[in-house]
Amino acid sequence: MEIYLQFILLGIGSGVVFAALALGLVLTHRASGVVNFAHGAIAMYVTYVYSSLKDDGAYPVPPLPNPFAIVEGILSWVGITVALPDFPTFIQMGDEWPWWAAMLGAVITAGVIGFLFHYLVFRVLRYQPPLAKVVSSVGLMLILQAAVVIRFSNRARNVESLLPNDGVDVLGTTVPMDRFILFGLMIAATTVLYLVYQKTKFGIMTRAAAENEQHATLLGISADSIAAVNWIVAAMLAGLVGILAAPITGLNPLNMTLFIIPALGAALVARFSSFWVAVWVGMGIGAGQSLLQIMEIRLDWIPDINLSQGLPLVVIVVAMMVRGQVLPSRGAVERGRLPLALPTRIRPRVMTVWLILMTWLLIWGPFEWRQATINTLIAAILAMSLVVVTGYVGQISLAQLSLAGIAAFMLSSLATDAGVPFPIAPLLAALVATFFGLIVAIPALRVRGASLAIMTLAAGVAIEVFLFKSDGWLAGDSPRRVADPSFLGIEFGPNSPFWFGDGKVPSPAFGLFVLLVLTGCFIAVIRLRQSMLGAQMLAVRANERAAAAAGVNVQGVKLAAFGISSFLAGIGGTLTAYKFGTYSMESFAILASLSLFAFSYLGGIATVAGAIYAGTLYQQGIGTLAFEKLFFDLGRYEAYLAGIFLVITALVQPQGIDVFDRRERRRIAWGFMVLWRRMTGNPDRTKPEWVTRIYPIYPKPQEAVAEAPEKVPAEVGEGGGGS
Amino acid sequence: MSAVLHTDGLTVQFGGLKACNEISLDVNRGELLGLIGPNGAGKTTFINAITGFVPATGRVLFDDEEVLGWVPHRIAHRGLTRTWQSLELFGDISVRANLEVAATKLTPIKAVRDYFGSSQRVAARVDQTIDALEMHEVLNARPDDLSMGYRKLVGVARALVADSKLVLLDEPAAGLDRSETSWLAEKLRQVIDYGISVLLVDHDMGLVLNVCDRIHVIDFGKTIAIGTPEEIRTDEAVIGAYLGSSGGEEQ
Repeated sequence: MEIYLQFILLGIGSGVVFAALALGLVLTHRASGVVNFAHGAIAMYVTYVYSSLKDDGAYPVPPLPNPFAIVEGILSWVGITVALPDFPTFIQMGDEWPWWAAMLGAVITAGVIGFLFHYLVFRVLRYQPPLAKVVSSVGLMLILQAAVVIRFSNRARNVESLLPNDGVDVLGTTVPMDRFILFGLMIAATTVLYLVYQKTKFGIMTRAAAENEQHATLLGISADSIAAVNWIVAAMLAGLVGILAAPITGLNPLNMTLFIIPALGAALVARFSSFWVAVWVGMGIGAGQSLLQIMEIRLDWIPDINLSQGLPLVVIVVAMMVRGQVLPSRGAVERGRLPLALPTRIRPRVMTVWLILMTWLLIWGPFEWRQATINTLIAAILAMSLVVVTGYVGQISLAQLSLAGIAAFMLSSLATDAGVPFPIAPLLAALVATFFGLIVAIPALRVRGASLAIMTLAAGVAIEVFLFKSDGWLAGDSPRRVADPSFLGIEFGPNSPFWFGDGKVPSPAFGLFVLLVLTGCFIAVIRLRQSMLGAQMLAVRANERAAAAAGVNVQGVKLAAFGISSFLAGIGGTLTAYKFGTYSMESFAILASLSLFAFSYLGGIATVAGAIYAGTLYQQGIGTLAFEKLFFDLGRYEAYLAGIFLVITALVQPQGIDVFDRRERRRIAWGFMVLWRRMTGNPDRTKPEWVTRIYPIYPKPQEAVAEAPEKVPAEVGEGGGGS
Repeated sequence: MSAVLHTDGLTVQFGGLKACNEISLDVNRGELLGLIGPNGAGKTTFINAITGFVPATGRVLFDDEEVLGWVPHRIAHRGLTRTWQSLELFGDISVRANLEVAATKLTPIKAVRDYFGSSQRVAARVDQTIDALEMHEVLNARPDDLSMGYRKLVGVARALVADSKLVLLDEPAAGLDRSETSWLAEKLRQVIDYGISVLLVDHDMGLVLNVCDRIHVIDFGKTIAIGTPEEIRTDEAVIGAYLGSSGGEEQ
């Protein structure tokens, strides 16, 4: 029995990190109504800063855009290779720093990060719908994670323990002392914070602002500065605990970033408001995970499937099932709106040009271009799955690639192991993904916004851990082979023969097949937007209550959206599997899901054409390759830039590239027209009709507002004022 | 005339507070019934309760069928629709699409058939409503871009278009100026001419007293008076609870 107690106590180590992160989530949610998905990443980043300062005396400079890199790239066109100055990667200050100085430097960094997150991002997004906030915090998470990978590589880093870890005997078992010290520090910190927020004027003002920001502002409370302080405190706490606990939990760019998931579970149980509940549940999850680990090893009746990793998901699902919409609403007005779901019209000319270009790239392009084009086309299909569920219905799903991965696995089982023929195997595989998508959707039906993002993120991680990891249910003897597809004797896999081209992988036959599938999906999703179901989806997105009152079966529509979306993700997954010829889990990891979400939002999450833009820009797609050919290889910077562009999109142009492009295109064309007339001395200054045509994005009020009729019937015209 | 809506002892409890306390009310067919009461009297809660948005006890007979406990969209399909005080239109889609969404009873099979082109559209009923309310000029605009009066009208149209037997209007005149209110009142009388019953909840005494056939007054969750506008104008309890204070201020 002692061993179970020992593992429960050992689990306090990670439990304290979950607790500190959960506490930070509560603070930042109170401060600005944001569920900060990047909170774990802050702890991770700060711990890297600490470790770098302490071991090497080097302060990592976050990667900054260097205009010279472009110049170098352009000069290389004419064969000139120069090394222009670049920003330093590290600032060297001595050899090794004492632990306290390194910790101070790191914690100050944490405070600065917290302040900047608030000041540059979430302050600006205050009145935006939850989608914009979720998108930005996911973007910040990608940025921090990628910045560390760029500076320190993906490898785990050893952090020396600051706390004594001599064994302490407790109830017949031995546990290192650091667990108890961490526990004590956490309780002390929570007590202090609790007292500050209960007793001091600052704490009361924070709670007032969280309760009703408008009213608090009217009472002369600066919600802004209060939010800033809360952000700084939350980030410093995360960094501090990260530094202290890293020797126990281990440190690599991913693990502490994903500690956000148990922390989110704890914060959800605490309804994002109670400090103590958040802290105790956080520690409980840590202890519970540790206990499950040892139970899995010791008890035969528990299957060895990484059960402990599922605990946060269980906590999240139960919290949502029991409490429904758990995030407390704030008395802040949402002035912003969701990206407009403009119908994408099938424009035959544009589509023909695009199809010819793609076909040309796929048949006669060099193999790397063929590869990039195929990547783009598949990513566009995956992005379309997000257009349906997030764009049309407003449901944030961060697990799309996990669903795609399930389809990929099913394909390798069905087509390769069971010999199911071509069109049936991938369709069945996509249906299995649909089934899993619906399983994820059912607990999600009662929630929306940030809660749903939490839920799907946890589900994605759980799918990854349980099904894809080397010891997961589905992994088996990975990498698993996926046979080339063939239909009626025609082969169109990446290795299939083709009449033209250089004969290298990938075969144009496969590329054309992917293009065909994409075109089908493209038309299908456009049609969905025009159908009655599509209209109901948009109605649900606009207002669930009103949709229900108008006779829309809200849950049915959401399920349909999740189903269609998962099916599309499944199709994308099977194509990915065909592309590689093997099934491997890396393509479907949770970070790839987040990255897909980032690019989909960037392209324009609510329009079908936006998905094409998303695919074009997606990692290893046409956009990346073109950039590499023109300037330089983005390499590790890809994920970093994805995060930065995601945040910028959310801040500046939440419509995404597609709608931005549609709106700006005319203005730019009109600008050129004016210039041309000036240069040619044409006195004509009249605007053609296409410039003045109101584009249904934000019509100018005076143009679009229909006047209420003037006629006033006499019999009811008077006496508006009562008896 | 038989009642299209009959509630009996409808009670809604929020913790210790009874927002609606045993409200019994009849809306006759083809009638425009006003439901008035001071702020916090439980008017909106009453509407939320009969349209399935708030759990309640008691009885709600709609068209001789018990609908209490039904999910909202099923109640709407049955022909009991409502508008919202805060409008809650579907801002992203055109006015026409707003109406089409409400006019369709979309089943999975219908959705699939509609998707594959066999039109399940409800053009006729949508056009009829548009004609009735004379709102042709705003059909293709998005609701967010319309004036307040028109947005209210779209809300009413969306409630009517679903082949309603009874429409519950939650403060349709809130935020409208006097001429817009009169214009809306005229539209409401037109609705009655189409054989639809209306339950009108509003603060605007002018509107309620002018257009309603009968008026039901509640205060603190309880019925305090029922009668014709003339009777209500002179009812002691009503004057005490409502007109005595707010009516006096308005004049």
